[in-house]
Amino acid sequence: MKLKVTTNILTANEKIAEGNEKIFADAGVFVLNLMSSPGAGKTSLLEQTIIRLKDRVKVGVIEGDIAGADDAMRIDALGVPVVQINTGGACHLDANMINEVLGDLPIADLDILVIENVGNLVCPAEFKLGEHMKVAVLSITEGHDKPLKYPVMFQESKALIINKIDLKPFLDVDVEKIRRDAISLNPEITIFEVSCKTGEGLDAWVAWIETLIS
Amino acid sequence: MHEVAIAESLLNVAIDNCTKSGHARITGIQVLIGKASGVMPEALLFAFDSMKPDTIAQDAVLEIIEVPLGGHCSSCRRDFEVEERYVLACPHCGGVQYSLVKGRELSISEMEVE
Repeated sequence: MKLKVTTNILTANEKIAEGNEKIFADAGVFVLNLMSSPGAGKTSLLEQTIIRLKDRVKVGVIEGDIAGADDAMRIDALGVPVVQINTGGACHLDANMINEVLGDLPIADLDILVIENVGNLVCPAEFKLGEHMKVAVLSITEGHDKPLKYPVMFQESKALIINKIDLKPFLDVDVEKIRRDAISLNPEITIFEVSCKTGEGLDAWVAWIETLIS
Repeated sequence: MHEVAIAESLLNVAIDNCTKSGHARITGIQVLIGKASGVMPEALLFAFDSMKPDTIAQDAVLEIIEVPLGGHCSSCRRDFEVEERYVLACPHCGGVQYSLVKGRELSISEMEVE
């Protein structure tokens, strides 16, 4: 017989994500899901953000990688609580992976929890983790065609960090096109141009983050 | 590549629907996949077929219906549908004040059970 059903395929993930949302709300912590392709500078951005924020704001981090703990070690060196998730091959984090490590972080003491997703411009955008906000990082060495090639990531994000802006004089990249296409895909998106190497633009980004958690 | 995770979730949701309706076997599943969902139908089909053996869905045929991206423009007040995976402006008037109404689907619409 035919069964007429309308069920979201990702129901299971979304239920767990809702559970995470509740845990975050009870703990009073603002949660940010940081996404980009590998090497765009998510961890560098995180380091620079933590350095500027940690005297005033309590930050915690969940690092997602297919393998290794290099990123967690970099964050640990800054003296903030961090947990490393190794997905063992999966190209994204899902709500259950987050749920399983929440007990390892002092989330009730945190003001902001940053989840650094697996480096990938496609899959992480599809899976809700229970976060308040997604942020995409795109480095200008990746080329100006990326927003239109990977639209979901840019549509889902509240902010876009255009990183490695110090390299602009050496590249043929059209940063205006990145801005234009991202805004066309998502008129609400807030864009920051930064360099984690020179520090350019980071204060504006950090100030924006502070307005969200205050 | 996340089609494997989506196929796994699809299989779990379908099996759950089937057993809850008091049936023992799934012979067909129809899914709606929006063109802007970021899911490749071929990859989903491949992942589903490699995961279904030894489940009550082992004989299930997966039918994928692709849903084009569609929206409503608030400038010219017309509906539109496009073949692309994204929209940058209303195809009728070029306006950017539009809302998307379809194209992000990722759902089961119908199942054949016994």
